[in-house]
Amino acid sequence: MSDDRLNLLELDVDGALAEAHHGLTRAGFIVAAAGAAVAGLAATTGEARAAIPASDQDVLNYALVLEYLQAAFYTEAERAKALSGRPAAAAKVVGAVERAHVQAFRDLLGKKAVGRPHFDFRGVTESNEAFLKTAVAFEDLAVAAYKGQARRIRSRAVLTSALGIHTVEARHAAWMRYLNGNLPAADAYDLPRTRPQINEIVASTRFVVDRPQSASKRTPRYTG
Amino acid sequence: MNRTAGIVIGLAAGAAVGAAVVAAAGPAERPTAPPPVRRQLADPAAAALAIPSPERLSDGPDVTRWAHVRHAVAARVRPLRGARVVARIRARTPEATVTAVAVTARRTGPDGRLWLHVALPVLPNGTRGWVPRRALGAFEISRHRLVIDLRRRRLTLLHRGRAVLHAPVGIGAPRWPTPRGTFLIRNRLERFRGAPMYGPVAFGTSARSPTLTDWPAGGFIGIHGTDEPGLIPGGVSHGCVRLRNPDILRLARLMPVGTPVEIR
Repeated sequence: MSDDRLNLLELDVDGALAEAHHGLTRAGFIVAAAGAAVAGLAATTGEARAAIPASDQDVLNYALVLEYLQAAFYTEAERAKALSGRPAAAAKVVGAVERAHVQAFRDLLGKKAVGRPHFDFRGVTESNEAFLKTAVAFEDLAVAAYKGQARRIRSRAVLTSALGIHTVEARHAAWMRYLNGNLPAADAYDLPRTRPQINEIVASTRFVVDRPQSASKRTPRYTG
Repeated sequence: MNRTAGIVIGLAAGAAVGAAVVAAAGPAERPTAPPPVRRQLADPAAAALAIPSPERLSDGPDVTRWAHVRHAVAARVRPLRGARVVARIRARTPEATVTAVAVTARRTGPDGRLWLHVALPVLPNGTRGWVPRRALGAFEISRHRLVIDLRRRRLTLLHRGRAVLHAPVGIGAPRWPTPRGTFLIRNRLERFRGAPMYGPVAFGTSARSPTLTDWPAGGFIGIHGTDEPGLIPGGVSHGCVRLRNPDILRLARLMPVGTPVEIR
């Protein structure tokens, strides 16, 4: 097994990322993250939300954006039906968990939850090799991101939840690393990553894209 | 010391004290009061999040897969570069929205590249062709389905197989029949000016009129409102599907772009 350190900045599957047919991805992701902050600071309703400090809601919305990213990735991998063997089985299991995380965050945040961004994974869900490289990078990223927010969390209830998810993400990271031929636990200590670092890495992938325009104010010219 | 570190150290210290107390006292001299360790530790915090069971995907017969077209591309009869071109797909519709196509199959070509079989917005209706995977954007799915019954002049919107809207419709006059087949909702136009005959909202489909082939912008069939509600239901249009304006507004609230349309 190799112990290569993977990150999304190094990913460019068959040059797909470099083609960049859809621009504005980086900006789009940063806007989403900023939106999370704004939503989190707003007043909330509901007993559960009322007990959570506004700054923690901001952290929860930030985590939700990352969960959206992961859930969309595994969901597309499963729907594309292009994976085989253990990677296909792992995508199914991990995807189901990431969707459950998304649901939990949305349930807790209610109307204050940020909306789902639009993703285009540019083919990395359609071969075992590209899928595993990306999955390792995503899971390592999620682990570092959760760790990076720990010091900002004020509510013990939120911290408990974040720790519960953090360890699950770490198990996913180890699983994907094993499948990809990397050491599952290469280091004695994992460093956290800050929000700007995470944003920059995710934006560099161009996986977060503008939603394709499907509505218009143009006058119809259908046959009538 | 930050708060998290404090909690961790507090837990460790509490555990150590508790172990020492148990070792020193032994089982026969267990105190009646709670041991110190239990008083020192806070009650376990309740988790803020209720994590549901892992959510399995449910791809069933009610799911349609579709994608936006990333760039203009030639659709071919076989998944092979150099195979005969069936039609060329533009990235934009005549309404300047991004073209959407239904995806019906996928295959790895002899060159090792992924190809997708897509329904083409060309005549004759129902034409399909193979395009490279990279020509299309992310896979989208629809759990909606719009059924238009020409004989009954009635529209039904289904979601996950369950009818959520019924409405009477105007369809093509005998001279300009509404084409039968399975198509896709490609775009949605609203707040447009100067065309009251389309009502407040118009959906564009991938269906084309087989008779009005020289109609501006290609003769695409729309689903829209009307300024002549008294003609509905009836065989009154140039091929488009007309709804009374309250009905098209209800449909617009429920039906997303990417919904498959079955005209039968």
